[in-house]
Amino acid sequence: MVRIYVIDNGGQWTHREWRTLRDLDVDTKIIPNTTPFQEIYRDKIDGLVLSGGAPRVGLEGNLGKCKEYLEKSFFPILGICAGHQFMARFYGGKVEPSKIPEFGKVELMLLEEDKFLFRGIPKKSIVWESHNDEVTILPDNFKRLAESENCKIQAMKHNEKPIYGLQFHPEVEHTEYVEQIFKNFVKLCEK
Amino acid sequence: MFDAEKFIKKTIPKLKEEIRGKALIAFSGGVDSTVSAALVNKAIGDRLVAVHVDTGYMRKDESANVKKLMKDMKLNFRFIDASKEFYAALKNVEDPEKKRKIIGEKFIRIFEKVAEQEEVEYLVQGTIAPDWIESGDGLRDTIKSHHNVGGLPEHMKLKLIEPLRDLYKDEVRKVARELKLTVSERQPFPGPGLAIRIIGEATPERARIVREACYIVEKEIEKAVENGLMEKPWQYFAVLIPIKTVGVHGDQRAYGNTIAIRAVQSIDAMTCAYSNIPHEVLDNISTKITNVLGNKVNRIVYDVTNKPPSTVEWE
Repeated sequence: MVRIYVIDNGGQWTHREWRTLRDLDVDTKIIPNTTPFQEIYRDKIDGLVLSGGAPRVGLEGNLGKCKEYLEKSFFPILGICAGHQFMARFYGGKVEPSKIPEFGKVELMLLEEDKFLFRGIPKKSIVWESHNDEVTILPDNFKRLAESENCKIQAMKHNEKPIYGLQFHPEVEHTEYVEQIFKNFVKLCEK
Repeated sequence: MFDAEKFIKKTIPKLKEEIRGKALIAFSGGVDSTVSAALVNKAIGDRLVAVHVDTGYMRKDESANVKKLMKDMKLNFRFIDASKEFYAALKNVEDPEKKRKIIGEKFIRIFEKVAEQEEVEYLVQGTIAPDWIESGDGLRDTIKSHHNVGGLPEHMKLKLIEPLRDLYKDEVRKVARELKLTVSERQPFPGPGLAIRIIGEATPERARIVREACYIVEKEIEKAVENGLMEKPWQYFAVLIPIKTVGVHGDQRAYGNTIAIRAVQSIDAMTCAYSNIPHEVLDNISTKITNVLGNKVNRIVYDVTNKPPSTVEWE
């Protein structure tokens, strides 16, 4: 069984990430973001999801021990919303308040073919958003994978490591390809 | 995938183990509390006392139906009409968070009184996952305090039992079907009831108006679903907006309230899309409400926002 933990940064939908993984028969648990890396490592996990956060936490400050997870992990990591923004800052990118924040239904445009996380997802699809801030400058060594009308960096990927960041919420029911995106991530973790 | 049969098999012995004395359940007659009551009843039988409180903010005929349900389920039950108390407590209260807190606290006070008389030590609640997620727990921002969770007074003396805490609504419905409970397909109804479907002060008169409007919206939408005109929404109801606008009734100027029609589609209420109600159905609802509530309501609007940015209920 694949073991993927969900790091809780205080988002409204942390539980949805947990549920989606559980429904895919993943061995999963919600872990507070104050948990030391050593404790997670001991459980022999195959991947991590960094959840969204309480308002504005992606913009500045620390997301608990997320920095430590990004420094020390060698398994796949999926950062969502605030998790994605923190990831961008950690790797040297920039996060700023959105000129036009997005809430609810938005059309996602894939820019690059990606054989892993976006495998089987059409070029255009419906996703749901809920953010006031966004990544404005891509970190070095990252590739931009998707955009929406009002947000240029909707998805990004590390060039060498299996590390992904998503501004949109792949875990909520009204995002069109919830299951496919999570299945792809689980597959990535199985490797 | 979630397995209802397994969940039931696992939960009943756990409850038997956990509950040593008598327990009390706040029984609203909704899916969550009915399933919780059925599970706990299977575990400890008559040591479970089901209490239904008529707050005065119930839907049409609701309390009578709930009484019948408790009888049919052969529960050891108590029925308390506290509508006057609730109306008095909410007099002059307009702030939605205050309404929720006052109602939550009042519920608990009533249950505490029964708990004392019955000498119970446990309080069973039908809390489900989105309830406590949205209430916030220090880490999260509070969107609304759900009266199951956020409204609980800190000095409460009863031990809390929440058998459905990790479940989502669609999973609770699966458990309800497995237990053959008639309420399995009922739409969710908020703990504070119609009080939060009245913007501003929830007076008895306004409760009467929104109750009638909710009844019409429910009946018309259920009829449309039955006739295959639309998909069954997750939730569908009316909201009273006490903003008066000008109308004309039989050549005379009228000056009445506004009712909003709200219906959303979802599986777990964490995100929702507004329901696509056909125009002929909207038309029927509009005509019925403005005729039945002629001197009170003369304008009907249709809420077309998703969650996010809005929430399902208006308060």
